[in-house]
Amino acid sequence: MSTFVLPDLGEGLQEAELVAWHVAEGDHVVADQPLVSVETEKAVVEVPSPQSGRVARLCAQPGERVKVGAALVEFDEGPRADTGTVVGELAAATAPPVRAAEAAPTGAAAVRATPAVRALAQRLGVDLKIVAASGPGGAVTSADVERAARALTDAGPAEPLSGVRRAMAVNMTRSHAEIVPATVSDEADIDAWPPGSDTTIRLVRAVVAGCAAVPALNAWYDGRNMERRLIKQIDLGLAVDTGDGLFVPVLRNVGGRDAADLRRGIEAMKRDVRARSVPLAELRGQTITLSNFGMFGGRFAQLVIVPPQVAILGAGRIVPRAVVADGKLVAHRLLPLSLTFDHRAVTGGEAARFLKAAIEELERPE
Amino acid sequence: MPSAEKIVELPLLAEAVHEPDVVARFEIRYSRFLDPKGNALRPLPDFAAGPAELVALYRGMVLARAFDAKAIALQRTGRLGTFPSALGQEAVAVGIAGAMRKEDVFLPSFREHGAQLWRGVSLVELFLFWGGDERGSNFAEARQDFPICVPVGTHAPHAVGVALAFKLRREARVAVCAFGDGATSKGDVAEALNMAGVWQLPLVFVINNNHWAISVPVAQQTAAATLAQKAVAAGIEGEQVDGNDVIAVREAVGRAVAKARAGGGPTLIEALTYRLSDHTTADDARRYRSDADVSPHWAEDPITRLRNHLVGRGIWAKADEERLLAEVSAAIDKAADTYLATPPQGAETIFDFTYETLPKDLAEQRRAASGAEPE
Amino acid sequence: MSEINLVQAVNLALARAMAEDGAVLVLGEDVAAEGGVFRATDGLLQRFGPDRVLDTPLAENAIAGLSVGLAAQGFRPVAEIQFTGFIYPAIDQLVNHASRLRNRTRGRLSCPMVVRSPSGGGIRAIEHHSESPEAMFAHIPGLRVVIPSSPARAYGLLLAAIRDPDPVVFLEPTRLYRAAREEIEDDGAALPLDRCFVLREGTDITLVTWGAMTRETLGAADTLAAEGVSAEVIDVATLKPLDTDSILESVAKTGRCVIIHEAPLTGGFGAEIAARIAQRGLVSLLAPVERVAGWDTVMPLPRLEQHYLPSEARILEAARRVLAYQ
Repeated sequence: MSTFVLPDLGEGLQEAELVAWHVAEGDHVVADQPLVSVETEKAVVEVPSPQSGRVARLCAQPGERVKVGAALVEFDEGPRADTGTVVGELAAATAPPVRAAEAAPTGAAAVRATPAVRALAQRLGVDLKIVAASGPGGAVTSADVERAARALTDAGPAEPLSGVRRAMAVNMTRSHAEIVPATVSDEADIDAWPPGSDTTIRLVRAVVAGCAAVPALNAWYDGRNMERRLIKQIDLGLAVDTGDGLFVPVLRNVGGRDAADLRRGIEAMKRDVRARSVPLAELRGQTITLSNFGMFGGRFAQLVIVPPQVAILGAGRIVPRAVVADGKLVAHRLLPLSLTFDHRAVTGGEAARFLKAAIEELERPE
Repeated sequence: MPSAEKIVELPLLAEAVHEPDVVARFEIRYSRFLDPKGNALRPLPDFAAGPAELVALYRGMVLARAFDAKAIALQRTGRLGTFPSALGQEAVAVGIAGAMRKEDVFLPSFREHGAQLWRGVSLVELFLFWGGDERGSNFAEARQDFPICVPVGTHAPHAVGVALAFKLRREARVAVCAFGDGATSKGDVAEALNMAGVWQLPLVFVINNNHWAISVPVAQQTAAATLAQKAVAAGIEGEQVDGNDVIAVREAVGRAVAKARAGGGPTLIEALTYRLSDHTTADDARRYRSDADVSPHWAEDPITRLRNHLVGRGIWAKADEERLLAEVSAAIDKAADTYLATPPQGAETIFDFTYETLPKDLAEQRRAASGAEPE
Repeated sequence: MSEINLVQAVNLALARAMAEDGAVLVLGEDVAAEGGVFRATDGLLQRFGPDRVLDTPLAENAIAGLSVGLAAQGFRPVAEIQFTGFIYPAIDQLVNHASRLRNRTRGRLSCPMVVRSPSGGGIRAIEHHSESPEAMFAHIPGLRVVIPSSPARAYGLLLAAIRDPDPVVFLEPTRLYRAAREEIEDDGAALPLDRCFVLREGTDITLVTWGAMTRETLGAADTLAAEGVSAEVIDVATLKPLDTDSILESVAKTGRCVIIHEAPLTGGFGAEIAARIAQRGLVSLLAPVERVAGWDTVMPLPRLEQHYLPSEARILEAARRVLAYQ
């Protein structure tokens, strides 16, 4: 920083009136460049700059009287920022530019159809996904859409699912997306059962026996975090088919209840289901499920496991069949069993041992 | 078969002095009337005999410089866009304009503010233009003058067209085209000089040679010893003047304009001056020239020179100077205030002058730009 | 009435405009005594004199630039650029000045000038004589770009261009200069600018084109008609400002569009038309919009020229591809 004072203007003058500045604060000036006009008695005189530099401060205003030797201009030598241009202003950013993303693999091709064809499909209520494409490059043409529309009018009207049917569709879809099902099947020889045996209770006892032998099937599996919880208490889901659809209410703690209690529980449950008065809580929390579909028919089946469960035992129709007992061909009543398990969390060995234990329990006379 | 006796004895080349005939020569004259201190070096032209014209020229230069300073001050405070100062070059602009008639047409480059102001472009209009508003080029006066020209030298062919229009209509009007030393390297300028010459147009070209084309000094712009001699190639007259002597500029341009008006054809005048400022407010000339290079040129200041001359002749006194500075300062402050108080044009004006009548697709864009709902 | 070809129609329009308006000037290289290398300005010097028909020195940039100066002073200059191969130096004056003068002076100065030039290939010429630069000009705000495709449209559109208050680039298809003859009434009637011309009405496919390619396109339309396909042929004529509505109306009717131009494909003006159809006519489309254009190469010398110019066969291929979307 250096200060330029008003120099001696000659003629014995001690002061002068400042008339006009020729430079402004911030200006870069060179030596000999006129800085200011000051008035003396005789003339208006220009005062040149003694040096080159940047004008930091003007120390007086036009109209002021300035004494010889008083500060006129302060210079500084600060460097001037490089604008990086001769015209306009360049904005400088500090944030780095956005990187281009790695090319992502393209997904499955969507339906290829021109907008007019899409509009036509919408007007005719045709889902383009079900239309067979005959156009160039696999494109759906308007003729294709019209053909599909005609086929649909022959079919019944579309009815959206609701209520229990909708819930079933949702659950089964979810199961299919997550679970890796495998099924092991076998038959229990129940010829030794006394008449009037309660099949359902016997099946419940069989599940309990299976869980006692192989606790891994009474568990919940979280596929996302790959965590398995073994559960001590068996809350058995019992598939109940009604006119409205499939319900699977829960029979709590079947391992800790006697047969009479279980029977009472099952009856109460069936009543509530028919009356559609099952509390929501009683439709949740199954740790393993039993489906006695044999009441309606069928022998073996691959059943659907609703996550987070890992197993479902299905009992088919009890039918007398030819078996070999003590070397002789005889007719015994057989109870077909299908154990579908989630192979992400249960091994084939575990499933087979579960089934064996269940069958052993079922084959006891009482 | 040629006869042996008929063969003429030809002098051998080595023996003869082989001097091709000179078929063309040129000379370039340089004129100046005042030395840097303002002393008259030769008898002054008629217009400089009395005070009126000289005082007008002085006032024009002072106004130009004050406008320049204000423009820079406004740019510094973010209220004006990039501005090309004409500091030190006031005599060229004012000398040109002082020699023109109202009915003539001026085609500036971008460093002749003093000429534009003299010819009736208002301070407000200049502030508006450099402040980034097209209305600044819609001059209320000087309606046929061209606006400034950014692509260097490309207005030289426009001047040809304007001068040709005058000639075809047999009007006693002259076109004056100003450009810098850099422009003389441009094809446009060569083409324009050539056309002006072949058609003998009423056209005066003035080179505002301030020695710098941004960072390139004129010595690196051309091998020609003078820029004026580029006229020779076009078959027209060229001369140099001291561009910091407003009397010399005014005299030379006046002579050329009179010649053109009388049907005598075009002239190229090279006015030698110096760019005391940076190329623009965004430029820092210290990147390519030193302060020590610039300082000596302050001694050639055209305003100081003429003032000293006027004071020396008793035409100008202290009171006159004070009065002028106050007047100029007030006028400029007032104009700056008016400019700063002028709101920008509406967004729709972006479209309104693209064609005489707005075409349909542009009308849609105009609606979108003004924030209206699409139809 | 006289039966004349396209270049004669240009000559007729120039004479007409010059007779009606003393401000109209013709200038360029070899336009006066020679009457233009294609005879477009034939006879004008004799009829209107050297103050109206001016030979300029050889300087395309300055020809355009001085036209700006003349136009600003109230003349209506019609500048000839001898071949569009030489128009490029003039682009500076057209882009930086002619197209902007009105805007940058807020209407104080304006530029009613016309630059006309023989354009396009197929005339077995040497290098640089077969250019199709229309897309470059169509990109510039403030210009008009007009391309006639017949003698009658050349007459009517050139008159309109000369009378227009804004700068017009008028590209005359060299290949059509002497191609066909038509009866033209020299009645001074201008055709509308900024409008397409429907050369043939149709219902199954829209063929959009301009300039010399209208011939091949009409030929393709004939062939399609013989196959039972009804093609609508649109001559854009004014590329800028574009009459989008006419094109969209046609595509809404047919659902199929093929655009044909001689200029190279990429960045060609067909892309602009296709983009507008995509923006505002997408729902009408039954098939993709196709373009048949010059390859993205320089026009080859005469021995290979026929491989470059879009042929009727190429147009038909494209048409059949879009017609396959039934």
